[in-house]
This record gives sequence, C-alpha cells and structure tokens, in this order.
Amino acid sequence: MTATLVDLPTLDLGGSLIGFPQAHRFALVRVTPDSEVLFRLTALDIERLEFVAAAPYPFFPAYAPEIDDATAQRLELADSHDAMLLVLLTVGPTLAATTANLLAPIVVNVNTRRAAQVTLAGDGYPLKAPLAPMAPTPRAPRPAPPHALQQAGQGVAL
Amino acid sequence: MIGHDVVVTVLEVRPDLVRIGINAPRDVEVHREEVFIEVQQANRSAASPSPQAVEALAAGLRDAEAPAPSKPDADPAG
Repeated sequence: MTATLVDLPTLDLGGSLIGFPQAHRFALVRVTPDSEVLFRLTALDIERLEFVAAAPYPFFPAYAPEIDDATAQRLELADSHDAMLLVLLTVGPTLAATTANLLAPIVVNVNTRRAAQVTLAGDGYPLKAPLAPMAPTPRAPRPAPPHALQQAGQGVAL
Repeated sequence: MIGHDVVVTVLEVRPDLVRIGINAPRDVEVHREEVFIEVQQANRSAASPSPQAVEALAAGLRDAEAPAPSKPDADPAG
C-alpha cells in the first residue's frame, strides 16, 4: 500500500497565504527523507499548487520574530513552545539565487496544526533574503550569549 | 464603518500625511496595501517551483550540510 495524503501531516492555513485565499489545507512533507530543514507544502484544496519551505534557524540564527497577540489568539498559541516557524522559499536556478521570505513567515501551532502566514510589517525583515551561504556551524564550542539557547529552540517569541 | 465591525478612524491630518486607524475583529487581518502586494507577488513567485529546481536545492543544501557536524546538543549544564 502506498501512503495517501491522509496519512501525511496536514496544516490548515485558513486561507491566510496572501494571494491564495482558497488554499486552506496543505500537506507538509520533507523534501528528502533525511532533510530536517527543507519541506514541501502541497496544497490539498487546489491542484498543482506547491511551495517549498524551510526551517529558518539553520540559515538565519538571529531570526526571532515576535508574533502579535492577534495572531497568537487566532492560532490559539498560549506558549511559544507550541509555535514553529517556516519560511517560504523562492527557489531559484541555483542555491545562491534562492531566497527566503522573512517578512511573512508561516507560524504553525504544532499541537493543532493550524497555521497562518504572518506579515511582520515594521520589523524590517526582508522579503527576499538570500538563503546561501548556510550559517557556519562553529567547530569549537563557544560561550553563547544568554539568549542564544532560547533562539536555538524552534519556538518564537510571543 | 466597513460592515458591522470594522471601524476606520482618521487619527491625524497633516499637509504631508494622513494617519488612519483601523479597528477590526481579531479574525480580520489588516494589511497595508503595498506590503500586501509585495507579499502576494513573493508568494506567487514562490509557488510551484520546478521539481528539478527543488531537487537541485535539496542536493545543494545536503552538500553544504555534509561537512558540518550534526546539530549541536543542548547545553548539558542547562
């Protein structure tokens, strides 16, 4: 038996994806089985609509947007640990030409799988941040600033 | 008023600037049009990339990830 879409984790974006108000449900799958950073968001309500999303932390370690109260309430987010961030990628012909949308990330309530694209107007986050080069992983452990561990989680500030 | 529950208020009028306040229920998203249009265009250009481009991206990232050690563990003291 092959897996059906029903077996896959489904996010409900509630039509919040700007420009795609009819697209509510998306299947979230890893682009490759071993990839922890790259995902496909495949629309279940609209044929042949797909996005590629990334976990922002490996690329943009300092990216820690604040989610406004209205969004937190809409997604029933009581705790930042319940939130996961994804950024949509515009996949270019090369890695260097691929950009991430940091201005309007997707915030997911990992418990309810409800999600929303949130525009962080006023925070100065770029709409097209180059994805490459990947954030270098320090080879020797370095003392981290006190807030670094907080950012290392997948949560977002609420 | 727009509909039953969206209130638009002129907050300030100056020769070079008009500030508008919009009070809407929490389930109504309010966007500035230029930001909305920018994000809409970005979403459209992000939509449905070619399978080849996605494969190339995945391969490129795998190569970039390969030399690095696996995820650093959380601080054992924490």
